[in-house]
Amino acid sequence: MTFSRHIWDLLLVATLLFGSVFIWTTRITPNAAATTPAPQSAVAQPAPRIGHPAPEFALTAVNGSQVALSDLRGQVVLINFWATWCPPCRAEMPAIQQAYDRFRDQGFLVLAVNQQEDAASVAKYMSEQRLTFPALLDSDARVSTDYQARVLPSSFFVDRRGIIRAVYRGPMSRGMIEGAIEQLIAETP
Amino acid sequence: MYPIIELGPVNLGSGALLLVIAVFVGHVRFERVARRRGGELLAHRAGRCAPFALVGAAIGARLWYGLFNWDMYSQSPELFLMLRAGDLAWPGALIGGALAGYAYLRVRRMDDAGVSLADAAALALPPAQMIASFGLLLSGEALGAPTDLPWAAPLFGAPRHPVALYYLLAALATWGALMWVVRRSSQPGMLAVAYLALQGSALLLLEALRVDSLVATGGVRVAQVVGLAMIIVALWWKRTHPTSGLHRL
Repeated sequence: MTFSRHIWDLLLVATLLFGSVFIWTTRITPNAAATTPAPQSAVAQPAPRIGHPAPEFALTAVNGSQVALSDLRGQVVLINFWATWCPPCRAEMPAIQQAYDRFRDQGFLVLAVNQQEDAASVAKYMSEQRLTFPALLDSDARVSTDYQARVLPSSFFVDRRGIIRAVYRGPMSRGMIEGAIEQLIAETP
Repeated sequence: MYPIIELGPVNLGSGALLLVIAVFVGHVRFERVARRRGGELLAHRAGRCAPFALVGAAIGARLWYGLFNWDMYSQSPELFLMLRAGDLAWPGALIGGALAGYAYLRVRRMDDAGVSLADAAALALPPAQMIASFGLLLSGEALGAPTDLPWAAPLFGAPRHPVALYYLLAALATWGALMWVVRRSSQPGMLAVAYLALQGSALLLLEALRVDSLVATGGVRVAQVVGLAMIIVALWWKRTHPTSGLHRL
């Protein structure tokens, strides 16, 4: 194209203007949902990301009971994706149990979502290791898929409002676990 | 979504697997296109430059992701070094790759090949991006805003824009457009500039549909800013390098 420089200048300014306005109008606004009912702000969409509501799920625990994440609103929840064959998952379990013992009475719960193992071997492992928090069976890996938990262990700290506040992939230290819980427990719902 | 591909006892993340294939395809095509356009000398230079560009792209992609997920990365800096395909950002890869490739050419005093190699890279990248986008689609990354459109994909309990598919189609469209440009113009740098303009537009427009974008202050999506900058660079280059009669076929 053989435009004159003036036309290129115009095109540049127009693109810059249009682009900037477009970027600004399509930015993510966390408070938009409060003032405008629709469309919902991007951050208010459930997603396995910090700042988003934790994707909902309901799973069967090894003891046969049903656990739904939505029933736990008001509590601080650690969703931990794991498997008995995964060494780093096993390594962090004692620290998670310690945190569970320490903060349980203050409204903290662990959901240990087991990836595709049978109930008997999960129950055996839990009792051998004296782990007392609920172990849930994600038999078809649907919840793991929703949480994009491709790395084991993957941990999601959910606050009292159901919002994901911290995500860790790979094993966590006791300090990491307790630091996150202390901060979230201190918050009022 | 098929985030995990089971091959007997081995579970492979589909996103990571397709990313590796995409890098391989992009690398092979880069040298091949360079050979076709500039003979053995350019192919040789492409082969020497590519590993540096790839390392630069990997570093750029992770740094970019980490910087815009600073809350998580500042708490656990070891995340910067972990082998995780999910925590990479395409704008960082593009900038890192281009900078590292250019730095290598400068150090080796092969700057004169820079424009020809950028043109070769522009032709090599779209197919690789298509493969990588397909990986995003399989693994459920790049999730989009809820929509009622008939082609919406169900994810996290809502029908959503399949943004990864849009990126795949944008890469296909870029590839087709570049093939058209190849036949129309022999101006050095024209392919790279067309690539910047087209992929910049894709980033600017498509990123707006994502709900998992990396965000800067004020809620602005960083990839959109990079997209706009790519378009501006392309337009500026066209303004300062008008097509001469020689270059028009």
